[in-house]
Amino acid sequence: MGAFIELLIFLGLLATGYFVGQVIERRHYASIRVRERRYRDIMAFPMRFAPNAVAAQDAYLVSGTVVISADYFKTFVAGLRNLIGGNFRAYETLMERARREAILRLKEDARRRGSSLVVCVRFETTTISSGWAPAMEIFAYGTALVPRAMPERAAGSVPPGSVSASLSRG
Amino acid sequence: MKLENRLPAEGINASREHPLKEFAWLVGGALAVVATIVVAISYGAQWIAPRIPFEYETKLVGDRLTIEPKTEEGRAVQAQLQALADRLAAHMALPPGMKVKAGYHEGGMVNAFATLGGHTVFFRGLLAKVDSEDALAMVMAHEIAHLKYRHPAAALGRGVAVGVVLSLVSADLGRSAAGGVLSQAGMLTLLSFNREQERQADEEALRVLAAEYGHVGGAIDLFDVFKRVQSDQAGASMPQVEFLNTHPLTANRVQAVRQWAVERGKAVDGPRRPLSGAIAAARDAALKQKTDESAAAK
Repeated sequence: MGAFIELLIFLGLLATGYFVGQVIERRHYASIRVRERRYRDIMAFPMRFAPNAVAAQDAYLVSGTVVISADYFKTFVAGLRNLIGGNFRAYETLMERARREAILRLKEDARRRGSSLVVCVRFETTTISSGWAPAMEIFAYGTALVPRAMPERAAGSVPPGSVSASLSRG
Repeated sequence: MKLENRLPAEGINASREHPLKEFAWLVGGALAVVATIVVAISYGAQWIAPRIPFEYETKLVGDRLTIEPKTEEGRAVQAQLQALADRLAAHMALPPGMKVKAGYHEGGMVNAFATLGGHTVFFRGLLAKVDSEDALAMVMAHEIAHLKYRHPAAALGRGVAVGVVLSLVSADLGRSAAGGVLSQAGMLTLLSFNREQERQADEEALRVLAAEYGHVGGAIDLFDVFKRVQSDQAGASMPQVEFLNTHPLTANRVQAVRQWAVERGKAVDGPRRPLSGAIAAARDAALKQKTDESAAAK
């Protein structure tokens, strides 16, 4: 009887993880796709330096960070996958969502800075929890370039204490 | 140099395969592997147990399983149980060196079991339920058959080996739920293996019963007792699932008895022998105590 109840609880958790996880994943993908179109005018590239044509720019560090957790179902499937090895398919969508979301947040940061070009985009990952519900942080950062402010406008429009303010004064 | 920001490509970095497909393959495969390992270990233990000299088993348990009834009546009952066990064992071609030791436990459980070192234990609660020596002989022959086939030794080896394997699997999976599920699947496989042993013991017991009494009526009586006990206890509220039980369902066992007798041309019914003195006295005392208790409860 005890084993039976344990099995029921386990199946309940598994079903909850699967159905809720699927709904959340579908909604997240839909939201990602909408926002990717919205931020399409902001360009993000991995190259280290700005192209020569756009050299005269102010630069800011922009970043986007996402912490994402696997659901019960994905963790269970991954646990079995661990036995035989191979593609962690269950986690692939999870990580893809996290990376795309992190880039979107980076772009949002860039837009608030008035930038439409981010170069030197890099990813970092950190394991937050590796127990039965693994969670990861995906961190995207880059250098947002903003057309250099005209000297006469600088005093009024550039936020005090920012890099661009000190650069334009120097 | 042309800079262009296209939308991320879909379906390259994340598989489009339905997640339940991978789930089904992995779960099915893992259950099959665990079941195979457990069955292999079980048959291995069952194969090896009869090949281990019985004296090792005796040395292993020593005096730890010997039962000493506290009362004079209890000792008398145990002596008569031992006499019956010796009579039944004479029909059974036990392995060399095996001596059946009948023990009498003055507890109220309707139960009997066989364990390591040739020990069998019969509870007073069981004696209170049987009406004839034939029915008692069926239980006893069943338990002695377990000893004959070395089931207790096999169960010990199997339990240890399966435990080690399952704990390896679970440890490998860390705290994940997968380990728990695999252990459960392993235990269910073990249960179904136990039922096979019960059928084997039943069959041997029927052979002994037919040889000693000329008919197998005691088996039918005994399973009637089990049926009554089951309906008393459960109130027949939950339908029993054979897969979750160590013993085959009682109805199936009665059917198996009749089939067995018909196939071998043995009588299903015949005159029953009364219980011998001390056992009958213990039974009457247990029944009286029960009546008094229920009267007091009212």
